Order: sequence, then C-alpha cells, then structure tokens
Amino acid sequence: MIAAVLFLLFFGLMFLGVPIGVALGVGGAIAIALHNPETMLWGTLAAPQNFYAGIAKYPLLALPMFVLVGCIFDRSGVARRMVDFAIACTGRGPGMLPVVAVLVAMALGGISGSGPANAAAVGGVMIAAMARAGYPAPFSASVVGGAAATDVLIPPSIAFIVYSVMVPGASVPALFSAGILPGVLAGLALIVPAYWLSRLHGLGGAERELPRPPFWRSLREASWGLAAPVLILGGMRAGWFTPTEAAVVAVVYGLFVGMVVHRTIGPRDLWDIFREATEISAVIMLVLGLAAIFAYSVATQGLADPLVDAIRDLGLGSAGTLLLLGVLILVVGMFLDGVSIFMIFLPLLIPLMRLFDWDPVWFGVLLTMLVAVGQFTPPMAVNLMVACRIAGVRIEQTVPWVGWLVVSFVAATLLVAFFPGLALWLPRALGY
Amino acid sequence: MPDRPEPAEPAAPRPRRRVLPEEVIAVVCMAVLALLTLANVVVRYLTDRSFASTEEVSIALMVIMTVAGASAAAARDRHIRIQYLYETGTARRRHRLALLSAVSTAVFFVVFALLSARVVWDEYRYQETSMALGVPRWWYTVWVPALCLAIAARAVGVARRALRGPMPPDHVPAPPVGQDPAGR
Repeated sequence: MIAAVLFLLFFGLMFLGVPIGVALGVGGAIAIALHNPETMLWGTLAAPQNFYAGIAKYPLLALPMFVLVGCIFDRSGVARRMVDFAIACTGRGPGMLPVVAVLVAMALGGISGSGPANAAAVGGVMIAAMARAGYPAPFSASVVGGAAATDVLIPPSIAFIVYSVMVPGASVPALFSAGILPGVLAGLALIVPAYWLSRLHGLGGAERELPRPPFWRSLREASWGLAAPVLILGGMRAGWFTPTEAAVVAVVYGLFVGMVVHRTIGPRDLWDIFREATEISAVIMLVLGLAAIFAYSVATQGLADPLVDAIRDLGLGSAGTLLLLGVLILVVGMFLDGVSIFMIFLPLLIPLMRLFDWDPVWFGVLLTMLVAVGQFTPPMAVNLMVACRIAGVRIEQTVPWVGWLVVSFVAATLLVAFFPGLALWLPRALGY
Repeated sequence: MPDRPEPAEPAAPRPRRRVLPEEVIAVVCMAVLALLTLANVVVRYLTDRSFASTEEVSIALMVIMTVAGASAAAARDRHIRIQYLYETGTARRRHRLALLSAVSTAVFFVVFALLSARVVWDEYRYQETSMALGVPRWWYTVWVPALCLAIAARAVGVARRALRGPMPPDHVPAPPVGQDPAGR
C-alpha cells in the first residue's frame, strides 16, 4: 500500500514534469508519514535529517570542484587547440574530422566530468569546422553528441562520484581507474561507425583542401590542455592528492592556463564561470539530498524487497537479470539524465547487486555506460540536445546517423558486461 | 584568439543577466570551498600540521551552496525534470504543467522549510555541538530552512508568471548544461 503510494506519486509527478527532486521529496516524505502514524509529526523530521546527511559528505565535495574545473576548461580555449593538434596528427581527408571530434571529446573528458558541458565545448569548435568541410549538420551533431558521452566514463566523472557516494564498497579512485579502458573502448566504438559513415556517404569531401596545422606548433599550443588530465589522474595515482584536492589543483591550473597562457578568461568571466558551476552543482546535489529521503523510506520500509523478489523469481539468473536491467536503464536513459538515474534507481539496484554478487565497481561502470548511451539516444538526450542546438538542427534529423553510433556503443557496453576484466583489470593492477 | 564567437557589434555590451542575491551566496560558498581545500593541500605539504578539522566547515558550506544555488535555479526554472510532456504539448498543456510544477515545488519547500526549522530548533534547544570544532551545530544548519523558503518564494514567482499568461513558446525549463554556445 505505502509502496504503491510512494511509487505512484513519485513517477506520476516526475512524468508530469515536476522537478525530479521535488517528486522524490514528496513521495519519500509522504511514505514516511504513512509509515509512522503514531510518531510525533509522523516521523517526517527524518526528511530534513536525511536531506542534510545525504549532501553533507566530505567525498562529495569532489563533485562541485570537478564541475568548476569543467566550467573553467570550457572557456580556457583548450578545446580549439586540442582540435588543431588532433588534426595535425590525423591529417586531412574525408572522415578525419569526425575522428578528431571523438578524440578531442575523450581528451576533454579527462578534464571535465559532465557530458553536456563536453558537448558544448567540443561542439562549439567542431560543428562549424565540420560544416566548412562539408559534413551535413545532423551528422556533425550526432558525432559530437555521441563523443561527449564518453566523458562520463573517462575520469574525472560526476556520475562516478555520485555512484561512489551512494554505493558502499566502490571508492572514487577505483571507479575512476575502472572507467578508463571502457571509456577508450566506447571512443573506438564511435570512431569506427563515424569514419565508416563518412566514407560510405562521401561526407566531408571538402576536407582534403583545408590546410593541415603544423605539428610541432600545435603540439606546443595544445600541451597546456593535454597536461591537465595527466596532472589530475597522475596526481591522484601518485598519492599526492585526494580526488577533491586534485580537482582544486586543476581549478588553479585551469585558471592559470585560461587567464595567463591562452588569455581567454578575463577577470569579468570569473563571475560567469563560478555562477554556472554553482548552478550545475546545486541542481545535481539538491536532487541527491532529496533522493536520500526517498532512499530512506525505501530502505527502512523494505519497499525494494517485493521488486527484488519478483526479479529473482523470474529465474533469469545473473546474466539474464543484467540484460533485463540493461534494457530498462537504456529506456529510462532516453528520458532522464545519467546522474538522476543513479540517484533514483540505485536504492532499488543495490539489493539486486548484492543478490547476484556483482562487483560494485564493475556494476558502476556498466550502469554508467548504459546511461551514457541514453545521453545521445533520441528523443530526450542531453548531449545530443546541446549539439543540435549548436548545429541548428532538430533532434529528429539526427536519427538516421545517430542510430549507428548507438548500436556500436551498446556493443561496447555488452563487451564490458561479458568481460568484467575490461573494467576491473586496471583498478586491480593499481591496487585499489 | 578568443574561442567564443564575438558579438556582431563589438561596441554593444553583452546583455548581462540579473544577479540574484542567493547566487552571490552560492558563488561565495564555492569560492571559499575551493580556497579552503587548496589551503589544506598547501599547508599539508609545507608543514606537518593539518587543519582537516575544517572539513565540517566545508561540508556546511557545500550544503548552503546547494540550497542557495537551488533557489537561483528555481528562479530561472532550471531544475532537472522530464520535459517530454511539456515539449510535445500545446500552449494550454504547457501552461498547466508549468503551474503544477511551480505549485508543487512551492508547497513542498514550505513544508520542508518548516520541518528543517524544527530540526534546527532542536539542535539549538539541546545545545548540540559539532564533532570537530565543537561549535553550536545550528550555526551550520540554520541556513537550510531559510534558503528553502527562498526556493518556495522563487517557485511562487514562477507560478505567478505562469498564471499571468501562457508561457512564451521559447520558454523551455531546462537544466543548465555548461557554457551557452550562443554566448550570453
């Protein structure tokens, strides 16, 4: 009964477009009240207490800090310089610019932690460049939208930080290192169809005539940006910094590069950068706090048990259940962004993870890959939306192109599902 | 070479957005958080002392930043939501959905502010102190109910805008996604 109220209220409000945090809070608080009719204030004081406890976690500080890093590097001008360098490496020719877009998105993914910001940074440079080379705008938007989805896998990643805060037994460094190989795999899974589609349809024919930037100069220009992921990941690996501290060091480095080296950030831009970073972080962390109320009522009242039992009784076994979950997350991912999916569904998924004894780090990587697919699968795809806005096309127009990228990305996800070593080898080798 | 497209007329100043007071609070919190964490790293490497006990200050600042930033996001209608029904809807449906969203946000945060105020009142009454620094706990938490009321007030503002007339066709409540490519 209470379970029905909780889930109906929550899903109803959410579907009607009420902010997800509010839907979670209303559902959670009412379920608490129904469960404790005798207690003072129906036990609802647990709502603010869980909200506070849900956010007031020191490791979570990495989230706003990495968001800030992303906002700084978005404007620091490193994206354009990385593009020049990547073109100098790959050379000019039909099909090369889409490859460059994916490579640059992956490199930027090593600095920033959220897909849409990556799509904005890469799209801002690449979509115009691809238009000049003769690629159709819907194709360019598809490539940029898909490429930006590798961002949540390649550390640092906001999704991994949220997962780590919610799931015991999955530390941020372990998740970060576990995401690297699947992230590279996902990048390859996008490069192959993007290149193949350009050759097949003869896209980007004008690219051959465009000048190729000189290698050494573009390397020197790009080196400031390329050093950032090394600093962030290397600093954490070497034990110099915790993830949060690495983020703050990257903030200082990014401001130095933007304000002193490339001179793309002026003192007046600082306000915009900080304002944007607080808005992005606050919107995510508010949902995180309110999701803690929801998770509290699910946990204390055992509301996930019937669901877990039902899934176990299907008798699909570990692989079958995983496949079922994968399909569900893919569908949900078309309508919801990745971090929200974690915050809503992890309280329900953690019992299943325990039941089948899945490795929490591997499961986190797998879930992240699935939500990454959702970030560029129409109709509702945050990354693709950003890319389409830059390219000036409607999302529907991308369907003939983006479908191939989705299929290929899903194939990469299946590889990680069936070969957990792809995710787990690196964190084990590093001793996390 | 600047990466963002230059405005068409360089002389015309970019339209600057209104600065909201809660935005200032959130930005100050973010800046202090960054400085505090940085200071922690520097002090740890230069001396053998640590002021890790400031962790609880960082945590409190992070909570304040969240609620303050959430209030600004409420004013700009930028909270995470499923936009499917809204985007595919007629003007009438959009109007109703916008109203429902704003009203439920307002009602929820008024109730939530009252409950948080009650928790803070208990902390004050029972003179609870913080773990690391031993200061009264309500110093850290009293901001939450106040800023939750601000969120409710911002949602009421959105509701009133929705009541006054249909939402403009280009009004799409959308979460922030990083740098606005069109340039503000």
